[in-house]
Amino acid sequence: MSHHLFVLSPSDTPLYSLTHQSAKPVPSVTSPLASNLPTWSTSAFAGTLTALSGASSATQHTSGGAVRVGGGQDRHVIQMIANAGLDVIEEVMHREPTMYLKSVDKFNEWTVSAFITPGNTKFVLLHEGKNDEGIRAFFMEVWELYVKTMLNPFQTAHTVIRSGVFDSRVRASARKHL
Amino acid sequence: MAYTQPHPRLSVVSNSSHSSVDHLSPTTTSRFSLPSVPSLHSSITTTKPGPNRPNIYDRPLNKTRSAEVSASAFAFLFSEVVQYTQKRVSGINDLERQLNTLGYRLGTRALELMVWRAEGSSKAPKRELKLLSVLMMVHTQVWKAVFGKGADALERSVENPDEYMIIDNDPLIERHISVPRDMSQLSCSSFTAGIVEAVLDGLSFPARVTSHNTPTVQYPNRTTILIKLEKSVLEREELLK
Repeated sequence: MSHHLFVLSPSDTPLYSLTHQSAKPVPSVTSPLASNLPTWSTSAFAGTLTALSGASSATQHTSGGAVRVGGGQDRHVIQMIANAGLDVIEEVMHREPTMYLKSVDKFNEWTVSAFITPGNTKFVLLHEGKNDEGIRAFFMEVWELYVKTMLNPFQTAHTVIRSGVFDSRVRASARKHL
Repeated sequence: MAYTQPHPRLSVVSNSSHSSVDHLSPTTTSRFSLPSVPSLHSSITTTKPGPNRPNIYDRPLNKTRSAEVSASAFAFLFSEVVQYTQKRVSGINDLERQLNTLGYRLGTRALELMVWRAEGSSKAPKRELKLLSVLMMVHTQVWKAVFGKGADALERSVENPDEYMIIDNDPLIERHISVPRDMSQLSCSSFTAGIVEAVLDGLSFPARVTSHNTPTVQYPNRTTILIKLEKSVLEREELLK
């Protein structure tokens, strides 16, 4: 089961992103649409199309025998889903008085959860399956790390986070909670 | 690196008249830009962080929660900030804007840290959505976090519904500053205005914040921080009602 974390500045530019493979098993999602679809493997946009059509967990076997992950796992699809989630987040954040906005958006197998810091930086997490408490704990740890990063005088709310320590701490936290 | 000229950090006071030219250009200063200081880079590359160098990520954020900075040390630092800025600007308005920018940089950090300390251990950390509660938060919590005491008053302008005022009878940062007569317009609390602007901006209540001297007989240092909210904020507030 994989998780994708994006940290976005107040003006929605990406500051940091992380892909985490969790050891926990994937809940089996069956999409009736997926089985009826032709194989798009020749098209460059195969991933996008399969993802959009809901063929999420359809893993395709290439001729070499290697397993290609389904369209929903493609990098650009992930980014698209995260970006689409932003619209919903923007809407919800003016209604909900909490920082942790759980499961604001759903797209095929992906659920989008978000965390808004007081300075309006957004943490967006794409995840499969339900894990509210773990995600909350994960966000709280990322927030603490983010505050510490911000205290650096060379860091602003709009500079990309390049700290190696930040990265390893976030990874450790992801291993612990996700 | 051989120093062809005196060390730049030491030269600030003595030969700033000619070295300040390249730092000046107020038109190009954006809020997040840093002036290029060559000496800084060379010192970074020469002193590589050792393996045992303390790291901010290892430090608990609450460690310095109740720690206080010596007022005289702060007064000294702030007077240097004002002098440094004054050498690099072309007028009072410009000086106030620069101080505002410096305050803004502080405000973004103060906000994150302050809220983390208040909400970081809570199960469901809250965000403020209402304008009034945000202004109250600035008036009490931000002032407490930055200056150690709350501000003295929070008022709404009678003529303009989009203007709010935070009043401090004796601002800490101006306590040891006496402004020369020919610069009587200058309010060094522009620094504070910058902090307030950053906090409001961060909480998505964008505003233009300025500071003005409003002395009374009892309080000669009395300062008003004027908050002029952007139109979008008031429109959103109407919708939320």
